[in-house]
Amino acid sequence: MKSPFYPIEVHDLTVSYQRKPVLYGVDLEIEEGSLVGVIGPNGAGKSTLIKTIMNMVSPNGGFVKIFGKNPKAGTKHIGYIPQKESVDWDFPVTVMDVVLMGRYGRLGWFGRISKDDRRMAHECLEKVDMLPYANRQIGNLSGGQQQRVFLARALAQESSIYLMDEPFAGVDAVSEKAIVSILKSMQQDGKTLVIVHHDLATAKEYFDHLLLLNMRKIAYGPIQKVFTQDLLQKTYGGRLTIFSEMASQAARQPEIEMEKSIS
Amino acid sequence: MPVILRIWPCLVFLFTPLCSMVPTLDAKQVEMLEDDQVWGRVTRFFLLQDTSVQIVALGSALIGITCGLIGSYVVTRRLSLFGDTLSHAVLPGIAVGFIWAESKDNIALLIGATAAGFLGVSCLTFLQKYTHIRQDSALGIVLSGFYAVGICLLTRIQKMEFGSQSGLDSFLFGQASALSIEDLWGIGCTLLMVGLFILFAYKKLLITGFDHSFSRSIGIPADFLQYVLWLLLAFCVISSLQIIGVILASALLIIPAVTASLLVKRMHTYLLVSAALGAAAGLAGSFLSFLGQGMPTGPLIVLISTGIFISVLCLRPTNGLLTQWYFSRKNTLRIQRENTLKAVYQILESHNFQNQTIRTQELMSKRGVDIVHCEMEIQQLVRTGLVTQAPTVPSPSLPGQSTLSLTPKGWEYACKIVRNHRLWELYLTNEAKYAPDHVHEDAEKIEHVLGEDTIRQLERILSNPRKDPHGKLIPSLTDMEMGNIQNI
Amino acid sequence: MPLIPTFDFYQIFLQPWSTPQLVSWNLQIIIMGILVCWTCGLVGSFIVVRRMALMGDAISHGILPGLALAFIISGSLGIGAMFIGACLAGLACNFCIEWLHSNTKIREDAAMGLVFTSFFALGVTLISGHTGNIDLDPSCILYGEIGLVPLAEKVEMSGIFLGNRAIWVMGVVFMCIGTGTFIFYRQLLVSSFDITLAKSIGIPVKAVHICLMLALALATVASLEAVGVILVVAMFVFPSVTASFFFNRLLYVLLFSFPLGVLYTLGGFHLAHWLDCSIAGAIAVTATLLFIPACLLGPKGGVCSRFIKS
Repeated sequence: MKSPFYPIEVHDLTVSYQRKPVLYGVDLEIEEGSLVGVIGPNGAGKSTLIKTIMNMVSPNGGFVKIFGKNPKAGTKHIGYIPQKESVDWDFPVTVMDVVLMGRYGRLGWFGRISKDDRRMAHECLEKVDMLPYANRQIGNLSGGQQQRVFLARALAQESSIYLMDEPFAGVDAVSEKAIVSILKSMQQDGKTLVIVHHDLATAKEYFDHLLLLNMRKIAYGPIQKVFTQDLLQKTYGGRLTIFSEMASQAARQPEIEMEKSIS
Repeated sequence: MPVILRIWPCLVFLFTPLCSMVPTLDAKQVEMLEDDQVWGRVTRFFLLQDTSVQIVALGSALIGITCGLIGSYVVTRRLSLFGDTLSHAVLPGIAVGFIWAESKDNIALLIGATAAGFLGVSCLTFLQKYTHIRQDSALGIVLSGFYAVGICLLTRIQKMEFGSQSGLDSFLFGQASALSIEDLWGIGCTLLMVGLFILFAYKKLLITGFDHSFSRSIGIPADFLQYVLWLLLAFCVISSLQIIGVILASALLIIPAVTASLLVKRMHTYLLVSAALGAAAGLAGSFLSFLGQGMPTGPLIVLISTGIFISVLCLRPTNGLLTQWYFSRKNTLRIQRENTLKAVYQILESHNFQNQTIRTQELMSKRGVDIVHCEMEIQQLVRTGLVTQAPTVPSPSLPGQSTLSLTPKGWEYACKIVRNHRLWELYLTNEAKYAPDHVHEDAEKIEHVLGEDTIRQLERILSNPRKDPHGKLIPSLTDMEMGNIQNI
Repeated sequence: MPLIPTFDFYQIFLQPWSTPQLVSWNLQIIIMGILVCWTCGLVGSFIVVRRMALMGDAISHGILPGLALAFIISGSLGIGAMFIGACLAGLACNFCIEWLHSNTKIREDAAMGLVFTSFFALGVTLISGHTGNIDLDPSCILYGEIGLVPLAEKVEMSGIFLGNRAIWVMGVVFMCIGTGTFIFYRQLLVSSFDITLAKSIGIPVKAVHICLMLALALATVASLEAVGVILVVAMFVFPSVTASFFFNRLLYVLLFSFPLGVLYTLGGFHLAHWLDCSIAGAIAVTATLLFIPACLLGPKGGVCSRFIKS
């Protein structure tokens, strides 16, 4: 069953942190079932884009739609794998607890975890080869294992969209290959995946779509069309100075937005 | 409304000093505060007639300076809550010192407190190094664990024969009136040590505070300096106990330094401002407590520091809440003015610049605002001499029936704004490769921030264009001077 | 009279339970202590895993002006007014800290230190301005005296004696917080561990945070008479930190705070009996004493087990 809406639609999105623009006028429409890599230099707003889609950051302008709905209602369709640094690895939870958290969204306010939920979590852990570690505390795992646990949690969510922020950071080569093959199989099940990635060398074999981002969208499309010397140069070749300067000056004056909303 | 939302916690805060006045207004104390008495007290305080006043005022000021100096390092090194923990952790040391000397002997208390402080720091370091306990929990453990031992010992002492008249309670909240000359000497010594340490290690402290591992690599004994700082911090806390007490000792360390951090950026001015603020709070606190009779000095000093902090937060030059509000309002008015001017220009343009005047009605519909709002905007422009307003002939008294014409200054300004807008649109489409239907929104914002320099730069990049992406004319410099658009 | 009295087993452990009067008196103290430990342990577990242990410290200090104002305005030591005053002050303290932290460049620790000392100073000033004419005793609020709990007024309903008021209040607070925790355990767990996931599955993260702060203020006020504002921090931090050396699941950490609470109270009570000192202080000292072996010998991350591993 195909939805008439795009899984993720971003229109003229502008986001500022501390009055400094990070994303500026980004337009994006992602097709269902694509495996998208988000690529750009440090501070290009990759994570911010993901966070805005997840409704963790509210945009200064423009909007995000998920299956045609606003992000507040839409995020329940999204499975999110956070950046490694944002997780508290000392937290007293076991691997199984974390994966079960993926089922919480379906339980409502007072629901209890059922046998089916447990079986589901079991299967997801099996898929990522982490079943033997189910009772370990999450801090006692290697980087690749930790990443796989979160992947299992995302699988347990049974979402149709998955967002991942640098899933390969601090992960050994073997785990990386394993994760990629899981991602590909997820794509074959019709899921839409958006992955922030920093390694240009592997991007070409991992993804089928690519979003080049450097404060604004440089290009988005199938990898053969976008992965060109010219466009990559543009992405990594610094910013339009006047452009970013003016954008940050405008963002420093919130009064402009206020006046705009009045008139 | 958003302004109120943003400052309301501050209002809560503002009540802090206000509420502290409540007790002084209490019925029982009003009779005590007869006018002549108050003035008598004020003069007595400022003439420093009583020795006790001298000691308390001097002691408070000195401790303010000492804590201000050390506090600067505490706050910049993120040790604020460490100071709090340390001040609680010295309590068992004081109790042990008391038991040891069987009286309130300053030296014994100092040794006990220093030892307890040192033990507290060691426990903290141990917990952080060898266990998974996070910093906040470790601080909480040391703080409450030591404090509990202290309370047990204190309650024990009070039941022993030499403990009944100990007055050890005063260490919890301080009792400035009982400050003795020896205490004053103690404070003076601490200040001297702190001063000398900062004087000799100023540069090294600056480097270690900024980059711990780098300073070690160039041979600065960073760890040693850190320990000396902790030791001085402990001394500082101990010598302030008599005035301000265990629980609030950290306030004197934190508040003046935080206030100073809002005002200055460089370390040496930071130290000076922080010390000055500490001294001011100390003096004012001792003055108020003298005035209020029976009011505890320590909490008053803290409240005054907080009062100073709040006023600085509201009134500091660039980022103060009130100053920010003022500038924001000024900016809003400017942007509104510019938008109105632009609307006037666009109306003139829609008539192909055949008329020199426009009707208020037109401006109203162009701006999409009601008549009251529109009149307000027009008055703004008239007041700044950008527009002249004349009543129309048929019905001069009806609202919205006047005609407007731009003064030369207004014309120039309007041209500038329109020019900014259109140049930016062109820049976005030509250089940043935006779709033409996306650029208007953005230019609406950027037009207000483009400076002369950027405009010149844009013109150069775009090679002095005449038309924007929508095919409209970009007013040039000559147009501005001529007072009209040259039709080509 | 020596500092440490001789250890006499009968005197310390049996004498308090030797006559029916003593038993009924001391049992009230023990029940109160256990309830305090349980309530604070439950709230504290979440506070600690959210890295807000010092927020607990800050708020427990920060409620003081609320108590003082509630007393001044209502003119009585009624529980209702005290609860409202304390909760409002606690929330105000929390908001001030967060506002300073997010709207200025002041760091969180400095903001915390600044706000709670100011609140505390305000409270002390307000109270000492009024000590002349009322019986709001600052030292009682500060250390509390659990030994005086049996003196609290009795609750009677249509002539039937139901028990001690202080214990009833504490019990009700414990029931509220306990039920809340176990009904909304999942929501609390997710929003503490991963805010993004919590938000995306529709948990009102902000509301959860405020409720937790409210529970913190409530627990503090309720245990005030017993342990005072400063030692309450010990009750927040110690159970969950001690348990974290034995268990790696939050649920077990929570449950472990129940036996720990009983141990703390019994140990503290008898320690105080031995040394003839403040019971609340002795309970906190017992907590510290139990923490030390846990930290050294605990199987999950204890110092020895780490040492052996490496």
